[in-house]
Amino acid sequence: MRLYWKVVLINGAVLAVATLLLVLGPFSVSRHPVVSEAVVLGVGLLVMLVTNSLLLRSSFKPIEKVVAEYDAMFERLEDERAASSARALAAQEAERHRIARELHDDVGQQLTVVLLGLKQLEQRVPPELADELAALRESTRDGLDDVRRVVRRLRPGVLEDLGLPNALASLANDFAEHSSASVRRVVTPGLPPLSPEAELVVYRVAQEALTNAARHAHADGVELSLTRVGDRVALVVADDGRGFDTRTDGDGLRGMRERARLAHGELAVTSSPAGTTVRLEVPSS
Amino acid sequence: MTAARILLADDHALVRRGVRLILDQEPDLTVVAEAGDGAEAVERVRDTDVDLVILDIAMPRMTGLQAAREIGRRSSRGEPPRMLMLSMHDNEQYFFESLKLGACGYVLKSVADEDLVGACRAALRGEAFVYPGAMGALVRDYLDRMRRGERVPETVLTEREDEVLKLIAEGSSSKEIARALTISIKTVERHRANILAKLGMRDRTQLTRYAIRAGLIEP
Repeated sequence: MRLYWKVVLINGAVLAVATLLLVLGPFSVSRHPVVSEAVVLGVGLLVMLVTNSLLLRSSFKPIEKVVAEYDAMFERLEDERAASSARALAAQEAERHRIARELHDDVGQQLTVVLLGLKQLEQRVPPELADELAALRESTRDGLDDVRRVVRRLRPGVLEDLGLPNALASLANDFAEHSSASVRRVVTPGLPPLSPEAELVVYRVAQEALTNAARHAHADGVELSLTRVGDRVALVVADDGRGFDTRTDGDGLRGMRERARLAHGELAVTSSPAGTTVRLEVPSS
Repeated sequence: MTAARILLADDHALVRRGVRLILDQEPDLTVVAEAGDGAEAVERVRDTDVDLVILDIAMPRMTGLQAAREIGRRSSRGEPPRMLMLSMHDNEQYFFESLKLGACGYVLKSVADEDLVGACRAALRGEAFVYPGAMGALVRDYLDRMRRGERVPETVLTEREDEVLKLIAEGSSSKEIARALTISIKTVERHRANILAKLGMRDRTQLTRYAIRAGLIEP
């Protein structure tokens, strides 16, 4: 039976019983009700309401179940979406890593060979060719610089080779070089170890937070800290810029959240006109 | 004068050959041994008498940094040889890490044709070869301290050196500085060397001490 008819029927039945009782029962209401009549009416109304709500509740039960199932499904979908974007992120990082390695190991080395070869030739060719050779050498150098820049953007080699504190120091240096804001870096010694994936997440979140601070916040100062919180590691990037609305989930913020999830971490972003703080906590491995 | 004996470690045979040809052109430098990875470099240092080891950072089996750590440990035969790192990575943290491991300097592969010979000679003299990318970090730190009124090495820089110092702090390359001040790259580099010397960062130990004090490397 449709829910609508069920509700009509239940209400109808309760009202019918009440009417019948009024008609057949030993009840009467005077033109100016006395207290005893009012009490009887009140009790009657209460009984009606309770009966009605009890009956309605049982018929609404299936709906509540559906709503609960719907919520659960929604949550599951959200989890799956997050998991699949985390997978996509991981795949993207792996691919970047591979391309960077090939560029570094193959193209980079070959260009180095050419560069050194040209230098070595310069002393053996007729002088009239020296300028041309020097120009070739500069082009090769530019090519090598380009490869190096691309590799650096693709894969933070410093993270793998020198670890997270050094990689953060390098980010801070980059930031100081390209922005007028000063950056203060605090890394507590003796941090618990993180998995390589978690380190990469911390690095990318710091990178994104610094990029935001430099690009949008017009900050004068930024503090970058990596500290221990129990058996977790906390990254905090705080700037004194003009802040932004954290409800409008920009690409950068969404990216940070997805990365945080990838490392089973928690990300909190607070922002006011006095500055923005990005805080990421990740469990140690 | 006998030529300095050099061990060359790089996993890429053609790069090794290129570097070797360049070094062997110099009368005061001679490559006496080669290694294809870090572990082999450590072995060669044990069985060959060398004055300088040039290590590529990205090598299989044992990276250049790991090899430098091994080689830098004082061996039973006395002082370890001087070391110079060679790398594709343009990142000052590699330079500071190299210093910490006992290397005298860090040469970027893309300027190896210009800088390597000079860096080898500096290393053999026991001086630091500061790779240009690290100058920015060092100089910025120096300026920060000066602004905060901390005690910094007493220096009297010429006006030109001061200009160069500021441009370095802003991250300009030698080429850009040369263009901005309409001077030659060689002159920029001479200023750079003078500034370092005046800031007390000429030799390896001074520079390492400075970088540790500045918090650029962990002690």
